[in-house]
Amino acid sequence: MARFLMRRLVLFILALIGISLLIFLALRILPGDVAAIMAGLDAPPERVDRLRRQMGLDRSYPRQYLDWIGDFLQGDLGRSILTNRSIASQVGVRAQITFPLILLGLAVALLLGIPLGCAAALARSPRMQSFSHMVAIVGGSVPALWSGLLLIMLFAKGSGLIGLLPSQGFPALGWAQPGQALAALILPALSTGIIVGAGIMRYTRSLLGDMLSSGYVDMGMACGMTRTQAALRIGLRLASPQLVSVIGLTMAEMITGVMVSENLFALPGLGSMLITDVGNRDLPAVQSELLLLAAFFLFLGLLVDVIHRLIDPRFRGAARQEVVAL
Amino acid sequence: MNWGHEDRPHLGLRATFPGQLGFFGRMRVVLSSMWRKASGRYSLIVLAIWILVSLVSRFWTPVPIWVTDGYRIWQAPSRAHLLGTDGTGADILSWLMAGSATNLVISLLAVLLSGVLGLLLVMAMVSRRSGVSQTVVVLVDALISLPTVLLALILAVPLGPSIAVVVVACGFGYGLNLARIVRPQALLAAESDYVRSARHSGVGSFRIFCTHLVPNVIPVLCVQLSMSAGTSVLAEAGLTYLGVGVPSGLPSWGHSLTTSVKFINVFPLTVLWPGLVVTMVVVALNLFGDALRDAIDPVTNPRLRAAVAAAGRSTLQSVRQETSACLEASGHASEGDNHVAEY
Repeated sequence: MARFLMRRLVLFILALIGISLLIFLALRILPGDVAAIMAGLDAPPERVDRLRRQMGLDRSYPRQYLDWIGDFLQGDLGRSILTNRSIASQVGVRAQITFPLILLGLAVALLLGIPLGCAAALARSPRMQSFSHMVAIVGGSVPALWSGLLLIMLFAKGSGLIGLLPSQGFPALGWAQPGQALAALILPALSTGIIVGAGIMRYTRSLLGDMLSSGYVDMGMACGMTRTQAALRIGLRLASPQLVSVIGLTMAEMITGVMVSENLFALPGLGSMLITDVGNRDLPAVQSELLLLAAFFLFLGLLVDVIHRLIDPRFRGAARQEVVAL
Repeated sequence: MNWGHEDRPHLGLRATFPGQLGFFGRMRVVLSSMWRKASGRYSLIVLAIWILVSLVSRFWTPVPIWVTDGYRIWQAPSRAHLLGTDGTGADILSWLMAGSATNLVISLLAVLLSGVLGLLLVMAMVSRRSGVSQTVVVLVDALISLPTVLLALILAVPLGPSIAVVVVACGFGYGLNLARIVRPQALLAAESDYVRSARHSGVGSFRIFCTHLVPNVIPVLCVQLSMSAGTSVLAEAGLTYLGVGVPSGLPSWGHSLTTSVKFINVFPLTVLWPGLVVTMVVVALNLFGDALRDAIDPVTNPRLRAAVAAAGRSTLQSVRQETSACLEASGHASEGDNHVAEY
């Protein structure tokens, strides 16, 4: 485990360096002088020069890169060109919307996907099986934007058919009003969670289906469990390592849905901030935010791999038996 | 009977070996097998319509897509504009039709890119040099957790919104995914006896990869590539809505969906159509992969097996006839018969 962890950590750092280089270079290809844009149209050249020095754009590329990474590691994400506000504090404020949204979306996905997937795997009649297959496929084929629109049409307060929930914006006081804040996140979480849930349902169904025909479940039934009991207590436990990997991966794909939802439901979260900054070509902001996002997801991947190892008992004796199968 | 190389009579045989059905014959059986199942039939119909509409929209749409009428913006569906008009007065149905061509191109390119990238990665992963294979495996494990949208955003800053951003972001992400999923099967095949025998007979590793490993993973490849095509349609919609996908002057389904967002308070029913089109196509692509896998694999498709066997029998028969005809002409009739019986 220690060896695996070391290896994986080294790789995490290497991947992060690679991504940071990619981000840095991608933003340097950008035509146009950032300092000139920032200074304004008819700024005197001295002012542009001063700004360029201030932002460190007059230095060589390796130097700029190292400065950026050094500041980043110390928690200084730089300042936005347009608003001159600290990016770190902006990210802190906006993460209070995005992270609860991701967690709620994941909760929706798991609550939909795992029970439905189990039910689909346990269904005996061919009609029920093909029906659940269709549910999984159709559910996973809906664009996040469209499901969000349909949810607004159905449930939005004011314009929807069954006006229940707010569909635009976030309460001004934020989480000081927990009820309203939560209500504002329900529709976005549903619209991102449904698609991911359908994917998880599909995987649960196929993994549990494999387990049902694997003999472990037969063993449980021979010991007196019912088929459902054996499938849920033995089959699901055996499928859990792979399920964790799949959930981790789908969570990475969920971020597109989260960004779309934030825009559609007018939530001032990280996704909408990133999109605005990319649109404005706000260079320091974009590069720090992208690196932060990449670091988050690479770390998530690392975490998922470690959890996979921890809950899969086959890996426990692996170090001793020299089966370091990656 | 020992035939010397020089005096062997020329048997005017065709290039097909006994037991082999030509590519088109095989495809005909595969398609008809898919057509027999409801899911396969649905996917074939929807995909055929998609391709047809894409082709037609290059030459004809109900209203030319560049025609905008400032006096007829946000119009309700009518005889002239079946789905209404958008904020610039352009016909929504025409844009939806023209968008299908853009999406077809994006999906094809993304699938091509992910297929090539995925197979290259698999080639490295099953490489017998453990340094190469382990590095690539671990690299894919680390990079796979990066979401598609992140790459798209990185690319969109220098390139601006463009089709290339969508294609590269999707192709890269799905290629990694493909490699990860195909790897176990490829490894299994790489350790099989026929690969070992080929290697010992001196066949190069690239040739072994193409002739022995790729055919083994084709069923998985069908499912994954087809699913990737579907996901790329969804990704295009999301990225275009976020402003980093297809640029705003170009018709695409993502563009139609984005337009329909503004419709929600005007006439909500119009919101349904673009989303419905996208959902139907993505469902079709998902079903297509499964149906193709079942139909293309001789192990799971008895009809294909039977067709191949029948073709083999008929080829063998024609070989026999031609052989005996040749031999008869050269006066070796009796020996010829013996030879064919051995063969």
